[in-house]
Amino acid sequence: MTDRESRGGPAIQATGLKVHFQTAAGLVRAVDGVDLTVARGAFHGIVGESGCGKTTLARALIGLQSATAGQVNILGRDRAEWARADRKGFARAVQFIFQDPLGSMSRRQTVGQTLEEPLQIHGQGDRAARRGRVAELLDLVALPATVLDRLPRSLSGGQRQRVSIARALALSPQVLICDEPLSALDVSVRAQIVNLFARLQAQLGLTIVIVAHDLAIVREVCSAVTVMYLGRVAEEGAAKPLFDDPAHPYSQALLSAVPSPDPRIEAARPRILLEGDPPSPRNPPPGCRFSTRCPVVEPRCRETEPALRTVQHGGAAACHLADARDHAMI
Amino acid sequence: MTAPIYEVEGLVIDLYTPTVSVRAVDGAGFHVAPGETLAIVGESGSGKTVMTLGPLGLLPEGVAVDLRGTARADGKDILAMSPSDLSRLRGGFFGVIFQDPMSALNPMLKIGPQLAEQARRYAGLSAEAARKEAVSLLARSGIPDPEDRYGRYPHELSGGMLQRAMIALALAARPRVLIADEPTTALDATVQAQILALIRQIQKEDGIAVILITHDIGAVSVLADRVAVLYAGQVAEEGSAVDVLTAPVHPYTRGLLASVPDFRSDNASGTKEIPGIPPNQARLEPGCRFVDRCDRAIPACRSRRPRLQAVAKGTVPHRVACPVVIAAEGIVTHD
Amino acid sequence: MKNWPWAILAPALLFVLIGLFAPLIMTHDPGAQDYGALLTGPSGAHWLGTDYLGRDMFSRIVGGARTSLVAMAFVLLAALAIGVVIGSFAGYVGGKTELVMISVIDIVLALPSLIIALALMGVFSGDNFTWMSDYWKMIVALTMAWWANYARMSRAVVVAELQQPYIEAARVMGASHLWIFTRHILPHVLGLVVVYASADAGALVLAIATLSFLGLGVAPPTPEWGQMLVDGMSYIEEYPSLVVIPGLALTAVVVSFNLLGEAFALQKVPRAVRGRFLTRKKVARAAEESARKEVEA
Repeated sequence: MTDRESRGGPAIQATGLKVHFQTAAGLVRAVDGVDLTVARGAFHGIVGESGCGKTTLARALIGLQSATAGQVNILGRDRAEWARADRKGFARAVQFIFQDPLGSMSRRQTVGQTLEEPLQIHGQGDRAARRGRVAELLDLVALPATVLDRLPRSLSGGQRQRVSIARALALSPQVLICDEPLSALDVSVRAQIVNLFARLQAQLGLTIVIVAHDLAIVREVCSAVTVMYLGRVAEEGAAKPLFDDPAHPYSQALLSAVPSPDPRIEAARPRILLEGDPPSPRNPPPGCRFSTRCPVVEPRCRETEPALRTVQHGGAAACHLADARDHAMI
Repeated sequence: MTAPIYEVEGLVIDLYTPTVSVRAVDGAGFHVAPGETLAIVGESGSGKTVMTLGPLGLLPEGVAVDLRGTARADGKDILAMSPSDLSRLRGGFFGVIFQDPMSALNPMLKIGPQLAEQARRYAGLSAEAARKEAVSLLARSGIPDPEDRYGRYPHELSGGMLQRAMIALALAARPRVLIADEPTTALDATVQAQILALIRQIQKEDGIAVILITHDIGAVSVLADRVAVLYAGQVAEEGSAVDVLTAPVHPYTRGLLASVPDFRSDNASGTKEIPGIPPNQARLEPGCRFVDRCDRAIPACRSRRPRLQAVAKGTVPHRVACPVVIAAEGIVTHD
Repeated sequence: MKNWPWAILAPALLFVLIGLFAPLIMTHDPGAQDYGALLTGPSGAHWLGTDYLGRDMFSRIVGGARTSLVAMAFVLLAALAIGVVIGSFAGYVGGKTELVMISVIDIVLALPSLIIALALMGVFSGDNFTWMSDYWKMIVALTMAWWANYARMSRAVVVAELQQPYIEAARVMGASHLWIFTRHILPHVLGLVVVYASADAGALVLAIATLSFLGLGVAPPTPEWGQMLVDGMSYIEEYPSLVVIPGLALTAVVVSFNLLGEAFALQKVPRAVRGRFLTRKKVARAAEESARKEVEA
């Protein structure tokens, strides 16, 4: 199938995706039945706390993690089949950005070599053409040409992440999946990188999936968002409506936990404080996975697991109480 | 205003490794009074941790240190103290919460006895009383079923619970100054909110001084009464949390705050960014440290080191080290 | 590395240079016997005197250096090649294959190298191996005894390196296994193993001399230090220089190579370990350790 034929459908569609790991302490259900649709050209955020499976989900989408069950379609094509049949073609279409930019680059390759490597792997252009493309890439991520001969370790955190973004863009992919690309960065640098993502997305028409824990930034730049809890989707929808009117009690608590940088707002606003830590993904509770910490839990929540249903903001939430005409507000 | 209980002035800390020397703190200072929470805000490498913990002798290992200035705890000069006196002060007068709980808790010992030991040594309790104190500290730190947790090892607790156990450990000696070094950075959002609420509650109940070292503006906004913004080892701006966070004057503070989106206020028109990266602290330039990244810089900024000037009178003075903005915006100074 | 006694590395350097340019340096044919000048002391004609057959000692020492150097080079190259290939393969493939290969490597490592070499020489002395000269028997035996070290190190490096996120990054870019191995992993392996091999060179020179001393390695008339030692033993009371000269040459070269290996390793070893002289095993372990640390960092 050519790219043209596959146009129109979603960029990424995962159905019934499960990723389980066998560990010494038992079976970890990191991702446990996730359906995810990422529209073409979307800037899609995946948020949740540690252990919710967001990173595993991102890795499973590109095949860095093999799925226990379920299917992932990217650009209308079965991911596993595509990667098997045409490894390089798949790599040209879908790229990944790692949380730790330093670790994701060879310590002994200069920035120039690092950026040239994907072009060499794909046999693109001669030496001069590749040099030209590398210069273009540096320009794209706003790095000066002086970094070309430097080793990753001599770069600042922000510069390293820019290099890793440039490398991912070298093959002109259509889909970019990013695993917490901001978490290793300082606040002011984080803003630089977020703005870079937003600019690239608009400029190159990319579809971006970004795993993040900084909710304020997700609301700022993402068009769509998926909130995960214990390996499941708790709530999903367009970013701003969802953040303004979250239907799932977990989303409400998660958003409430983010402090405002304005101490006057902070002093005045009511806060939802959840009890305890998230349960272990080794033995998720029966029924609704959030039932052990949910402030508005009902008996049925502990028995039957709620399915995703459409809610007021136009997205969907997996909560029995989201059915009510006006969803539960805690 | 009550007299400060921990006070540092004109502190200069040089760190030497075999290859580089860095002026980590360059003439900075701060003070905190009982019942007050001071937030020391800065990005990595700003010197915020070294400045706060350095005078107590808590410094990075394997690095030669040259430390000058004055530091007083409860009126006593701690830089002149003998190592043993300083060590007693560190254990009793100050309580420290670190980012990584495992750096404070011994993984080989049960949690309860570690607390009891601390309470016995510094609060002078009997063995039995120390045990009771440890259980009540665990309970106070929001750990459910404290009797059971008393006999648990650190690895049996989740991240949030460990952080609480470390807070209990820091409180065991009944400190008068609680220093929290990035206490929530490693935690998830919902757990972060719990820990911040816990620190606030403890501070209210005990009326102790709290110093929060962080880069997280949100945590500052939740906890702090006063804020000192540190950039490259110097205080750029200080004042009440409301003044500094809602009416910042220093270009760095403004940039820092603009780069933090707030989804509760609608005026956020995209995340702003500060261009560039912090300066190389191995090179000592005479002028303002922020000059290379500053959009308000004038040539004089390179040659003249700005001093802190009070821009607002009041119980909590608001002081800013940027004569350019003060002059340009006609801000009245009180000196 | 400051204040390091660099001069101590001179013998190793000299050994290599002399070995390389032996034919130009030798003043006499090391095999030529001169019955007119048996067991003479140093003189203008024979700088280091002559032995019991009237052969020039200086030329024999120089020729012996070449013999050792060539044999050492053969063994090191062969052992490195075998070790790197086997170790890297085991590390890259993983699973049961790796387990079996590690077991074999560990068994070989469990026995002292020289014992293995001796045992193999014993096997090679059988009738089935008459097609091999003693010299090549020695080379093969030493190679078989030496590769396992390099295999183990290569495997360790490969396994550590494979866990690195940048390997995943290369995979995401569509790189083939061959690309990942040759571009990213092999340079790491070689970097470390070659350093280790340099520390090993001294031990090899000694092993070659030992085998020849026992009459198992290099056969006369090829000049060789171990043999010179044996030959000189009979005259040790009257003419100790016949033993002392090759003995000193051997000691200087072995010590110097060991220190060279240590110098390499020290650059990779955490400061805490520095300042002490390390044994061969410690150097290897420290190098491995530091590679792992670097990988973790």
